[in-house]
Amino acid sequence: MRIPLKYIYLIVFITVAYLMLPVMNGDYLYTIQDNCIFINGHTFMMDIVTHKGGWIMWASCYLTQFFYHPWLGSTILILLWTVIYGATILMLGIKDKWSPLALIIPCILLYHLLDYGYWIYYAKIPGLPFQPTLLVLICILFTWGVQLLTRPLKVRWDTKRGIACGLLLLLLAISHWLWPTSAWHYNYRFCHSIKTTLFDKNFKHELRMYRALDEFRFDDVLGEMPKDGEDSPTNLMVLYKNIALMHTGQIDKMFETGNCGIKPQPNDSLQIRTSQLGGPLVYYMFGQMNYSNRWAIENSVKYGLSFRNLKMMARTALFNQEFEAAAKYLAMLKNSIFHRRWALEHEAWMLNSTNFYQSVEYQKLSPLLNDDENTLNGDNGLCEKFLLEHFSDLIHANSPLLEDVIMCMSLWAKDYYAFCIHFYNYVTNHPDAPIPALYQEGAILLGNAEESPITLNGFQFDIPIREKYKQFVQDYYQLRQQGIDEQEMGRRLKPLFGSTYWWYYYFYNDFDIY
Amino acid sequence: MKVNGILSTIFIILLLMACDHPAVPENAQKEDRLPRISPDYTEVTIPCNICPLNFAVQEDVSDVVAKLTYPGGTLTYGKHQVVQIDEMEWKDILKASMGSSIQVEVYGKTAQGWKVFKPFNIYVAEDSIDNYISYRVIQPSYVAYEQLSINQRDLTSFDETEIYNNMSVSSEGNGQCINCHSYQNFQTGNMLFHMRQGFGGTMMAVNGQLRKVDLKTDSTISAGVYPAWHPTQSLIAFSTNKTGQSFHTKDVNKIEVQDTYSDLILYDAEKNEVSIISNKLEELETFPTWSPDGKKLYYCSAHFEYHQTDSVLPETEMIQRYKEVKYDLWQADFNPSTKKFSNFEKIYNASDSLNQSVTLPRVSPDGKYILFAQAEFGCFHVWHIDADIYMMDLKTKKVQKLDAVNSPRSESYPTWSSNGRWIMVDSRRDDGNYTRPYIAYFDRNGKVHKPFEVPQKDPNFYTFFLRSFNRPEFMKEPVTISVQEFARKAKEDAIPAKFVTR
Repeated sequence: MRIPLKYIYLIVFITVAYLMLPVMNGDYLYTIQDNCIFINGHTFMMDIVTHKGGWIMWASCYLTQFFYHPWLGSTILILLWTVIYGATILMLGIKDKWSPLALIIPCILLYHLLDYGYWIYYAKIPGLPFQPTLLVLICILFTWGVQLLTRPLKVRWDTKRGIACGLLLLLLAISHWLWPTSAWHYNYRFCHSIKTTLFDKNFKHELRMYRALDEFRFDDVLGEMPKDGEDSPTNLMVLYKNIALMHTGQIDKMFETGNCGIKPQPNDSLQIRTSQLGGPLVYYMFGQMNYSNRWAIENSVKYGLSFRNLKMMARTALFNQEFEAAAKYLAMLKNSIFHRRWALEHEAWMLNSTNFYQSVEYQKLSPLLNDDENTLNGDNGLCEKFLLEHFSDLIHANSPLLEDVIMCMSLWAKDYYAFCIHFYNYVTNHPDAPIPALYQEGAILLGNAEESPITLNGFQFDIPIREKYKQFVQDYYQLRQQGIDEQEMGRRLKPLFGSTYWWYYYFYNDFDIY
Repeated sequence: MKVNGILSTIFIILLLMACDHPAVPENAQKEDRLPRISPDYTEVTIPCNICPLNFAVQEDVSDVVAKLTYPGGTLTYGKHQVVQIDEMEWKDILKASMGSSIQVEVYGKTAQGWKVFKPFNIYVAEDSIDNYISYRVIQPSYVAYEQLSINQRDLTSFDETEIYNNMSVSSEGNGQCINCHSYQNFQTGNMLFHMRQGFGGTMMAVNGQLRKVDLKTDSTISAGVYPAWHPTQSLIAFSTNKTGQSFHTKDVNKIEVQDTYSDLILYDAEKNEVSIISNKLEELETFPTWSPDGKKLYYCSAHFEYHQTDSVLPETEMIQRYKEVKYDLWQADFNPSTKKFSNFEKIYNASDSLNQSVTLPRVSPDGKYILFAQAEFGCFHVWHIDADIYMMDLKTKKVQKLDAVNSPRSESYPTWSSNGRWIMVDSRRDDGNYTRPYIAYFDRNGKVHKPFEVPQKDPNFYTFFLRSFNRPEFMKEPVTISVQEFARKAKEDAIPAKFVTR
């Protein structure tokens, strides 16, 4: 028995769609879901459906939450595409051999979904994977309905088919009038970012690192970091990696594990900011609850409320002991399908403070909460810059972790003034403890600088480190005398000194904070 | 005939469903405490024309029944965990209860059976309330804004409509912020609000005619900010402010909004002229408000002297010394015929004597009292957790804290109803982050009663709604100019105001 071609084409399409969606881009789909929201209940519904195209938006948000399990969301979406395919064939009476034509719309929808790249953080389209699909489906079903109603009319089939085709094209052309606007800007367009989604390794690393960090799986965060010599990581990846190091007691390894980040530039039309990509989580991980809360709210205002930001608002409210606010956010999350469990777990913290104090999150973050007294300032939207300056300027570190953080942040920021003070305080506070190699490297390099407020000559540094520094200086000047440019010098010195602070200090000069 | 029969049956079923009154559970076990309900309507006093006080029961119960006993009889409501009262029946309840009270007994169904909580009263005043209020609906963000609207709400029903919505003109890259809606004498023929950034200007309706004005002149520090319509003339007092904001790393208040400079101006809407009311160098004057006869202007002013060093900008110094900025309450005489101000006098020295800061004064319609928000420092008390509402007797100058309307969270923006019997405040008592309008009864003996939160049809609305209701104002009538009319005018160029010296 011969299987009709239309079924074979459909199976091929479904297979490709599954490969492109949950298999290859599951983290991407999960993040889209995390950046969207759906809350069961009247208030959320009315907040959406009162706007133009609100019901489509509401239905899209409902369906998008199923991408919490990417295979589940993908199955629903592919099912809808199959309906579009089948309805198009039936409506237009497409012959078997021409059935691939009916796959044009599903293919465009698949392409469109994968075309967002970094736009998933910025596109103001709640339920973005389903909105165009549902709209197209409505257009097709409407056209089909018109065709069925006009069946008794004595018009040639070809004419009817032509009219249906024309009506469908017309509906699709004017469908932007139905498109959701108002509440969150209509911002639909092709983003020209499919290359980012499919091939940008750093983009994918960032998606995975965010989720691992959010779930306090620090080893998984470190595992995502490319090995030395592989691709250059982004600044955000470096930030995530250093947070993981900080919470696993290895922050002094930051320069050994690749600390030279780059700024991703997916395309000219998108100005990427750490504040939107992961600002609330980064601030949270550094114990900056007010700033984390601030960016969770700001991002929700600007780019639409999301599960991600609502959870961050709940967490920071819990840490700030703003229990009424926490209860409100958790009540909302409890009215979702897949984040309900998270909400119940965190509600237990609120109901029983012992649970909270024994939680991994509290254990990890509480040492960072003991920093200096309140200060009034701003970050100008530059999360990383703020953290580097804030911790570099922090004089009184009240916990061992914070002591390490302020040392490392001042080295990271190349703030020799702050580092020298922190180093002096560190060795004074720990007279008998060995000084970590990184701090010695910093002190050897920066302690003799003219602008240094404290001369660090008098300290006893480990001989191997001193000798290595001598070697570094010698090699450096040798290459310089040969007239070799900085970039080439960096490349040549990297095998021997790439993991030292000195190499970072001299050869990482493109610190493009975004 | 058959169709008619089916339709009639459906209609009767719907009617029965609409009037569904649950039975009062028998043998309920008594619980010797009040039920936890949201909003908290226990022992509140309400106007005789308010919409139903729907509420949710926040107890571990699967079903509830609320028995409302009033002078005209008894009615029951409740389904699952919410109590929603039929609007028509509620009107009858209120009519019968004027000057008296409604006793509410809440029954809750648990795994062990029904229990009944201690009953509470809802007192119904004989005084009515203005039919409308308006407020700005805004997410309590810091810098970012997106969708903003000024809405009006009919207090006698649950109807809410938009007065203006910034999305009607905003576009990506040309967003518009809107704020400070204000009315003359609770009527909407003369009203205004500001638009900032995209299509910026002050939108005014003067005698029902729309105009868009640019109040910034070369002689003033900004366009008009906090407005106050003169009660009888086409005059508006504004503050002009150079405002900035910064963020706390630890403090529970999270944000400080500060004025580096501020003055007071008078706008003559008939002549389109701006003149100075007060612009003393070392004073930060703001928040003007008129007496009901229009012969006095009240306002707040903080004395602040910059150290004026070359290395520190005034904005930076203001941030460094933010706790030193404390506002006092001032008054000035106004001559409506000459439009001149005189006899500037501090009438409440909160900064020196109490180490406090007074903001947002509002005079009662009978001119006897003035309400204001007071906290330890600063001018933006909506973000100050210690902010509370105080009231001054303008005859004796005695100030009292209105404990009945205050909470451990921020209270700000007090305002009076047109009959002076109701006080509305913006409170963050629900959750600390989102401002909600609360209304308290101010009886003829000068006593303030426990306030009630403006009711919503869905009792859980406030829990799930992540926007604030800012600057709630009473109105006797709705704004009839449509959003589209405002939007059309918004797209026109603003008429520049002329500066004149008086």
